[in-house]
Amino acid sequence: MAMDKSQKKQVYLFYCAECEDLARKIASQSDLITLQTIKWRNFDDGFPNIFINNAQDLRGQHVAFLASFSSQAVIFEQLSVIYALPKLFVASFSLVLPFFPTGSFERMEEEGDVATAFTLARMLSNIPISKGGPTSLVIYDIHALQERFYFGDHVLPLFETGIPLLKERLHQLPDSDKIVVAFPDDGAWKRYHKQFDQFPVVVCNKVREGDKRIVRIKEGNPAGFHVVIVDDLVQSGGTLIECQKVLAAHGAAKVSAYVTHGVFPKRSWERFTHKNGESDNPFAYFWITDSCPLTVKAVEHEAPFEILSLAGSIADALQ
Amino acid sequence: MAATRALPSSSSYLNPNLPPSLKSSSSTAFVILKPPRKKNQYANSIRCDITSTNNWTAEPDPKVHFFPPEHLTVPMASESAVKTAKRVCLFYCAETKELAQKVAAESDGIELRSITWRKFADGFPNIFIPNAHAIRGQHVAFLASFNSPSVIFEQLSVIYALPKLFIASFTLVLPFFPTGTSERMEDEGDVATAFTLARALSNIPISMGGPTSLVIYDIHALQERFYFGDNILPCFESGIPLLKARLQQLRDSDNISICFPDDGAWKRFNKQLQHFPTIVCAKVREGDQRIVRIKEGDPKGRHVVIVDDLVQSGGTLIECQKVLAAHGAAKISAYVTHGIFPNRSWERFGSDKGGNPEQGLTYFWITDSCPTTVRDVMYNPPFEVLSLAGSIATTLQK
Repeated sequence: MAMDKSQKKQVYLFYCAECEDLARKIASQSDLITLQTIKWRNFDDGFPNIFINNAQDLRGQHVAFLASFSSQAVIFEQLSVIYALPKLFVASFSLVLPFFPTGSFERMEEEGDVATAFTLARMLSNIPISKGGPTSLVIYDIHALQERFYFGDHVLPLFETGIPLLKERLHQLPDSDKIVVAFPDDGAWKRYHKQFDQFPVVVCNKVREGDKRIVRIKEGNPAGFHVVIVDDLVQSGGTLIECQKVLAAHGAAKVSAYVTHGVFPKRSWERFTHKNGESDNPFAYFWITDSCPLTVKAVEHEAPFEILSLAGSIADALQ
Repeated sequence: MAATRALPSSSSYLNPNLPPSLKSSSSTAFVILKPPRKKNQYANSIRCDITSTNNWTAEPDPKVHFFPPEHLTVPMASESAVKTAKRVCLFYCAETKELAQKVAAESDGIELRSITWRKFADGFPNIFIPNAHAIRGQHVAFLASFNSPSVIFEQLSVIYALPKLFIASFTLVLPFFPTGTSERMEDEGDVATAFTLARALSNIPISMGGPTSLVIYDIHALQERFYFGDNILPCFESGIPLLKARLQQLRDSDNISICFPDDGAWKRFNKQLQHFPTIVCAKVREGDQRIVRIKEGDPKGRHVVIVDDLVQSGGTLIECQKVLAAHGAAKISAYVTHGIFPNRSWERFGSDKGGNPEQGLTYFWITDSCPTTVRDVMYNPPFEVLSLAGSIATTLQK
């Protein structure tokens, strides 16, 4: 039966507990996306006791799962569902994993370094195929561009980006004509410069001065502009803070930041919130997406944070 | 070869007059027994095989008992050379460190290697295998323990990495295969986490030595052996030989009956325990309740040992104990390979202190497959831990 390309498809969307808010937003973007539920329980021994409700109804339907691997502990239970869904005679299976963790710190420098990013890619590559063929795997702003090669042939990674959400937001700003995009290092420049070719650009880098590593401006001039530092993720926030200082020292009128993934381990986002009564925060805006739901819950009502939701983008990708 | 001490030549498993250091007692914390290589009639092979005591070793530690029967081979006419032990580099995780040390102590050929386990700030593992070059061309093994889902990912990372370091072969020892013990695939929608785990293990890359060998003790559901793909070679071992060796040491070893708490346990174990009189229990429905009844066999006057692969809450064992006591069992003990005991459920089991079987058990044997429980119970009667170290060492050197 020939498929009309413009015809959008009905999608049954499952999700993990952490992602419930984002899942609801996605479902509200389109009548064709309906939320489904799973019973997540644990046996006494701590291992998962999972039941997919209405499994019979999934036959012949397009099914998706919204995952979030915020810690090692939650991987196994979500993986159990991810491995089970494709085998329920579904028409196709998509796994949406907005943030692909691991690999952001690790360096494969010596024999003996264990690449956990590869472990995770391997586990995802092992998702059984469904009637619709290999699983589509949707990931936003994967950290290392070469990670795309870690996946085997039975999954189809689809690498999306949150940058369009940022650009849309920037157009709404009153000073949208005085924006300069800053990249904290060459890695960020490689990842994103093509998406910002209509903006003036500043590139920073870290140089060694004796024992210290200092952030310097490598190219570009921020003086008088609203500078938006762009990167894929933030962990401790140290890099962003150093960049902001250097940009301010070179005359930036305002500095904001955007990262797709607000990882912020150990509540490191606290370094960026407005302190009591303080009107002058070094950052005018700090945009993150809702790829890391646990952080979103912590910062959504805290200035200068603003959440740009991936819901619309994900809903489009699913159809 | 470890230093040997000559023992009185009349000593044997069946001699109740063993020197005190080799006698079991209910305060013994650890008994390390090695099963014999030969699988024929157990009692007879022990008697025939003890032709000399030159190969016996005894551990000085009074808490640890150590019987190396696999060193006792039936002497062949021309065989006098000692077989060179296969060299194996044994890696382990934090939970299995003690067991790994015991395994390495069993053989000069097994060498412990360390891994640096750290975490990044985001909680994900930061793992380094020191001296990775040194294992090229070596036989390598990893002793894993998946006692909770949160430790699976970091151990899997090492398990996936080791085979690719140009090693000669890779063996994964996972004494207890979790998941699948409580789950029932009854409805479409039930998610078999046992299958998730089997899938993750089936995906271990092959090494220069071919598919990974996967050693599991007393897997819960016999059909789980079919969950594994073709790139892995599951090797299903059992802890029952350790139990049999221990039973032979008991003073009333000729008065032992084995009780299976249900047909499942009978199916799993009856062939290994054929020469003991057997009692089989069953759960029957009486109105709303489920009661344990004796289906066949008679415990009267016997020392009954309830045998199962694992224990969780312990409810089944306790019900069996009650029904056996009510039918006149003289003493009741229990053996499970895997003492899972979630939520400290081991506390339900008390010692009979030499008294009535209703009051408690004489012995409760578990192996060290679940290392976190072992630490809790090893000094608490009636518990005694039978170590898998010998069995694992033998398997690694095959």
